[in-house]
Amino acid sequence: MKVRRRIDFGAYAFLLPALIIYLSVIIAPTIYSFVLSLYRWKGVGTKKFVGLHNYVALFTADPVFLTALKNTFIWVILTLVFTMTIALILAVLLNGSFKGRTFFRGLFYFPYVLSLIVTALVWNWIYNPTAGFLNGLFKAIGLTSLQSNWTADPKISLYCIFVASCWQGVGQPMILFLAGLQTVSVDVLEAAKIDGASKFKSFFVITIPLMRETFVIVIATLIIAAMKVYDIIAGMTGGGPSNSTQTLATYMYQQTFMYTNVGLGTAIACVMFLLMLVIIVPYITFTAKEE
Amino acid sequence: MSSTRLRSRAALYFVLAVISVIVLVPVATVILTAIKSKADFYSGMGVLSLPSHIYWQNFINAMTEGRLGRYMLNDIIVSFLKVPIGILVEALAAFALTRLEIKHRTGIFIFFLLGMMLPFQVALVPLNIIFSDLHLINTYFGLFYVYVGFGISFGILILRGFFKTIPKDIDEAAWIDGCGKFRLFWNIVLPIARPAVATLFIMDFLSTWNEYLLASVLITDKNMRTVASGLMTFMGEHGTDYGLLYAGVLISVIPVILVYIFFQRYFVEGLAGAVKS
Repeated sequence: MKVRRRIDFGAYAFLLPALIIYLSVIIAPTIYSFVLSLYRWKGVGTKKFVGLHNYVALFTADPVFLTALKNTFIWVILTLVFTMTIALILAVLLNGSFKGRTFFRGLFYFPYVLSLIVTALVWNWIYNPTAGFLNGLFKAIGLTSLQSNWTADPKISLYCIFVASCWQGVGQPMILFLAGLQTVSVDVLEAAKIDGASKFKSFFVITIPLMRETFVIVIATLIIAAMKVYDIIAGMTGGGPSNSTQTLATYMYQQTFMYTNVGLGTAIACVMFLLMLVIIVPYITFTAKEE
Repeated sequence: MSSTRLRSRAALYFVLAVISVIVLVPVATVILTAIKSKADFYSGMGVLSLPSHIYWQNFINAMTEGRLGRYMLNDIIVSFLKVPIGILVEALAAFALTRLEIKHRTGIFIFFLLGMMLPFQVALVPLNIIFSDLHLINTYFGLFYVYVGFGISFGILILRGFFKTIPKDIDEAAWIDGCGKFRLFWNIVLPIARPAVATLFIMDFLSTWNEYLLASVLITDKNMRTVASGLMTFMGEHGTDYGLLYAGVLISVIPVILVYIFFQRYFVEGLAGAVKS
């Protein structure tokens, strides 16, 4: 039965609050950022229009920006290789039925509810060169040669921060994978077993392809989060030592709010946005196709 | 149980135990540091050794000198404004996108999704400028309004996914009974969607409580800081007093851990729902 079939202005009223807030907090400021990135401006005083000069300067004359760009990519790769793999392994381990399964699930997810600032403060302490747990441990087991300055050493600092980030964040993709594993039908796996496929083989040939959708969600959320990585670096090294752990997000903050190079800072933010688009567009196309 | 199965079960528990230790050691070091007095701390005892007595003064100092009590109150106020109002705004939009006659609904949905992927940074400078002009820096309203904005995308994604699973027959029956749009939303659809709303409520609370970047830019007044940005200033002000710092860290995570323990099933179910939808 068709009850109503006319243009219904009342319906749009339901969208209005969300639309107003969304436009004023996200869309309008984003557009304004693009405009600001075309100016040289110290936050106060007059703005000078410089066209694309800020972008040119970043890519040709700013080694710190290039480090930040490189580190952001390294971070994305580390996340995809380690965080995702560990999460998948944990999910497979916890997918069987055994005593204590719910407990371990809860425990492994737990660090994810902590803020990245808390995670940073906790791991600062682990890495503390004089009184920290890690150097203490190596001393106790007689491996003093493995002692290090950890986050204070520019060569390994970024990787040390990543370990902390992985500790905090692995629970989220683990839960997504667990949910994905539930959707793989037991019958198919049984059939494969009868046909003589090993557990190992059927995992790679059957389970993983069937979890395609889960992988898309996990990869997309991990990449998006990795591109924005900020809190944990701000809390552990602030981009140092000697800019070795700068990412686009930390460098943007530094240029804008510490050196008040607003034009340059917004240009970095816009580079982040454009890089993000490269990932978002295929993801949205995929999501829309599934609809 | 055959011996090979027994052995593989033992190996599983061994692996799980090792991972559990990795998860828990950082937590243990924090607890054991927070309960040590300065004297114990500098006596040269190991990080994981127990002090002779628990030094509660660290916790008291964190709340008073460290102003953590104030930071937590600020966070509670912002969270209790942001979470319910945000969910209401998102639910209204998700309701329109799934059950009302809206043109280009997929397009509008995708437009809303964009916000989930934009880095905060891209809106940061203009928000800071506009908020300064409007005197919204250092206000609960300013922070609350921005948090609602950045939560809209995720909220609509989750609620729309759930609303779509509610059968349309209910709407038809409601229209025939003369039920208006808002009553359909408020009295019928929203109560049915309670599990999705509960999940969102909890995840929203956590992300609001834990947010750092926006809070550190839009709040500059000591008395208005929230927990995450407050803890950071803590580190600067009391850099050498590790007992105080980690007592503060412990206190600051109590609300989060309580929420996690009591509502754990919503985390798992909610995320599982996101995968299926």
